[in-house]
Amino acid sequence: MVLHKRKNKKNKDDEYYLASQWTLMGRKFKKHKLAMVSLWVLGILYFVALFGNFIAPSDLVAYNSKIMNAPPTKIHMYHEGKYIGPFVYGIDMERDPVTKRKVYSENMDEIYKIQWFTHGCEYKFLGLFKSDLHLFGVEEGGAILLMGADSMGRDLFSRMILGSQVSLTVPFAGTIISFVLGIIIGGISGYFGGVIDTAIQRIIEVLSSIPSIPLWMALSASIPPDIPVVRMYLYITIIVSFISWTGLARIVRGKFISLRKEDYVMAAKISGVSNFKIITKHLVPGFMSYLIVSLTLGIPGMIIGETSMSFLGLGIRSPATSWGVLLQEAQEITSIATYPWRLIPLFAVILTVLAFNFIGDGLRDAADPYK
Amino acid sequence: MDGKETIISVKNLKINIALDEGTLTAVRGVSFSIDKGETLGLVGESGCGKSLTCKAILGINDKKCSTEGEIFFDTDAEGEVDLLKLPPKGEQIRDVRGKQISMIFQEPMVCFSPMYTIGNQINESTRLHITKDKKKAKAISLDMMKKVGIANAEKRYDQYPHEFSGGMLQRALIAMALVCKPKLLIADEPTTALDVTIQAQILELIKELQKDLQMSVLFVTHDLGTVAKMCDRVAVMYLGKIIETGSVEQIYHDPKHPYTKGLLGSVHKIGTKKQERLFSIEGTVPLAMNLPSGCSFYDRCKDRIEGVCNVKEPEVLAIESNHTVSCHAVSRTIKGGSSIE
Amino acid sequence: MGNYVFKRVLMFVPTVLLLSIAVFFIIQLPPGDYVTSYVSRMSAEGEVFTSEDIDNLREQYGLDMPWYYQYGKWMKKIITEGDFGYSFSYNRPVWSVIMDRLPLTVAITLIIMLFSYFVSIPIGIYSALNQYSVGDFVFTTIGFLGVGTPNFLLAIILMFASFTLTGDPLIGLFSEDILREGLNFSNLGGFLKHLIIPIVVIGTGNTCGIIRTVRAQMLDEVTQQYVLTARAKGVSERVITYKYCLRAAMNPVVSGLAGSLSSLFSGSTISAIVMNMAILGPVLYEALKNQDMYLAGTILLTQGFLVVLGTLLSDIALAWLDPRIRYAERSY
Repeated sequence: MVLHKRKNKKNKDDEYYLASQWTLMGRKFKKHKLAMVSLWVLGILYFVALFGNFIAPSDLVAYNSKIMNAPPTKIHMYHEGKYIGPFVYGIDMERDPVTKRKVYSENMDEIYKIQWFTHGCEYKFLGLFKSDLHLFGVEEGGAILLMGADSMGRDLFSRMILGSQVSLTVPFAGTIISFVLGIIIGGISGYFGGVIDTAIQRIIEVLSSIPSIPLWMALSASIPPDIPVVRMYLYITIIVSFISWTGLARIVRGKFISLRKEDYVMAAKISGVSNFKIITKHLVPGFMSYLIVSLTLGIPGMIIGETSMSFLGLGIRSPATSWGVLLQEAQEITSIATYPWRLIPLFAVILTVLAFNFIGDGLRDAADPYK
Repeated sequence: MDGKETIISVKNLKINIALDEGTLTAVRGVSFSIDKGETLGLVGESGCGKSLTCKAILGINDKKCSTEGEIFFDTDAEGEVDLLKLPPKGEQIRDVRGKQISMIFQEPMVCFSPMYTIGNQINESTRLHITKDKKKAKAISLDMMKKVGIANAEKRYDQYPHEFSGGMLQRALIAMALVCKPKLLIADEPTTALDVTIQAQILELIKELQKDLQMSVLFVTHDLGTVAKMCDRVAVMYLGKIIETGSVEQIYHDPKHPYTKGLLGSVHKIGTKKQERLFSIEGTVPLAMNLPSGCSFYDRCKDRIEGVCNVKEPEVLAIESNHTVSCHAVSRTIKGGSSIE
Repeated sequence: MGNYVFKRVLMFVPTVLLLSIAVFFIIQLPPGDYVTSYVSRMSAEGEVFTSEDIDNLREQYGLDMPWYYQYGKWMKKIITEGDFGYSFSYNRPVWSVIMDRLPLTVAITLIIMLFSYFVSIPIGIYSALNQYSVGDFVFTTIGFLGVGTPNFLLAIILMFASFTLTGDPLIGLFSEDILREGLNFSNLGGFLKHLIIPIVVIGTGNTCGIIRTVRAQMLDEVTQQYVLTARAKGVSERVITYKYCLRAAMNPVVSGLAGSLSSLFSGSTISAIVMNMAILGPVLYEALKNQDMYLAGTILLTQGFLVVLGTLLSDIALAWLDPRIRYAERSY
């Protein structure tokens, strides 16, 4: 046809008209500034999570009763007017005579320099090989608490970074589960129709009519309390993915029904192509972009889900940690008023959720490249 | 012209569309006029700017479009007014729309809101422009519905668009456009979306009503057969410019512009010998965004003169009274012609 | 229309039945049962149970049967006697525990729902009509933040802000004097003050969601051909906006009614736990923790039932609003 004839005569118009769906989407997506910024933000967050054990100066179990609820340590450059590079002072603890509360102050006599690439607690880097190298730390005997300490004297900064390894991966695992469930169940429903379709639709309708948090709570409550961390993680992920797969299954079903009537599917059918091949080669690529958009838009819900459950004590439980677990300490107003740094993980949650929302929005706009 | 009363004259109309990729000049200086009772056919391929020109007359183009030039229209209230100067949301232009100039569109199926009955939407025009009185308005609307051939109009009045067939919807759309007896009807490819048998009926209907109401029609189409049937004069448009105008006879029997010739060559005539292939114009319409300099038809033209056609844009050349053409090749062969503008 | 409503109502019954099965199935999922958790709690306090005691307890509560049998019994009692079972931890019939808080829960949810519609629809229209204006930008930003911030975190932030600014975290729905004297004119202001945070916390997500829906839908409608047709016949922009665009833009808002209800229940559950509000959320939380299964089950069932009811109502409203649906249903 016309397009083929002109292939050798490449010009700008052709590039515009012949660009694949994905190239167009990419081009449009890049124009969405917020989405691009969000992509960077998430890139950094995931990078930090990946190298978490290396970046965090401490691990999940290390605690120090001398620094329970200590505020963030200040980093100094000058001691008595003399430049000695970044360092922290020692921490002194006193009890307030009236309230009996611990009060921390800087001990100007003790100086602990900040060191780069120090050796500290051991961990398995990327779960593969052992290492005890950390990005930074202070000299023996001192403590650096970028975001303060929790009630057991654990470094909140380290806990937040290590917690992100759970909080940031749950939505991905959940997305994979949603994707598989959504495509299979929605596909079966849409492709075969009839009684199967009606039954599946009813079940989805019922499942989605139970409000999500109560449903999550009920399902989380059924997780036995003393199971290995990995299994607990898996269960939470499956529960959280409930928010996404039902919606996805509906989209897939709807697309199947409308695409089934398309001529090219009919043509494939008449040519004797198998059902499975029609589904994988013709139907799924036809609405892949919508699936990706819908999956991305489902991610914030999953993050909120995991955080909520862990926050209520129904999700991830110690020794494992996630942002929701950290926020448990911020449940009471008095606790936040006294130790406001406990709110820091909350901003990590909001930042991540917003970033995923923006990316989802950018993708949604981009999915319609000719608009 | 010829002592006839001119109803509308469009002068040097330009329409720019602001896109992400840059500004696209979709209409590049279009001029034409229509006399009372006359039908002008605006012919061209899709994307050449016909629809934009029509909508510009009513001032209902998208926000992205900016318009230059003049459109003089003989209004009821104030005589000749430049429609482009009127604020597009103001009362003055709204008094013109639907009442003095009406428009019918390509796809009647999407021209009615699915939420309201056909009667409601036709009657909206009546009540807006003729009478506020509910009973009288309904009577007028029903009368028009009958006139356009909607059987059982009383029942149809209370039905919703999805209960109508395509042809019936087009009739309803015509009723809605003509209920206020406008002076000018703009018909933007009114039959493209319809079955062939229904096309003929609709064209017949428009012709009949035109006679009845003594209105002028701007008939937009890409179908030359329809033009021959409907129009008095023809303007051929290519890529945002009118490249040839003339009476139907002139255009059909003595086309000058290579593009017009090409268009006519691609119409299937009954009685052609079997072996003869239908003529087609080489190439595709270039994107109006990166137009080459010179004549925009240069790439596809059979008669192009290198060094002339791809350098300078051709000017409008009057060959006979009412027959103009813009082509370097034509102006070379006909010395007698004098250029205007 | 009548026929459609009848069919739709008829479908309501099996959906609710299916819902009750799903709920009961979920509720009995946890390993162990009320007796297990009861025994472990009492043992911690020094009580001694023999295995015979435990079996007796199980039998007494009917917990020794397979789950579908228990479900059948539960359902039978609900249908025949309106008895939703017995709450182990409250030592009272489940329904009386729920009725303590259900009216307030429903009232709060409805207030928040009305509030979010009243706020979001005008803002959505404004944003769409003034696309890319400063106002639109501000509302879009707030909308994003609102959708992005989890309810209960917003609750913490607001309570913290209120505490640092006024010294009163505005926890709970009722201040102490209301609890003592009941609601009257003098403390109405205090009550309304306590409503602010719940409304904002629970309603924000929903409100922002509707703003975005209305805006997107309006922007979509503006480009429709029938809008152009209306404009071509001289209809004023006002009429175009309200008669044509808004009417069509209302469809997704109406069809989202059940979704809104569900998200409000969802949000209020966790926010109520954080803010110590006397509605059903905290009761459900405790019930789930103590494996007080009939109580937890009935709360879930009630919420699900209300959402299904909301779906039914929105479907009927939609059919009434959109002639195409009426027609499609008629031609079945």
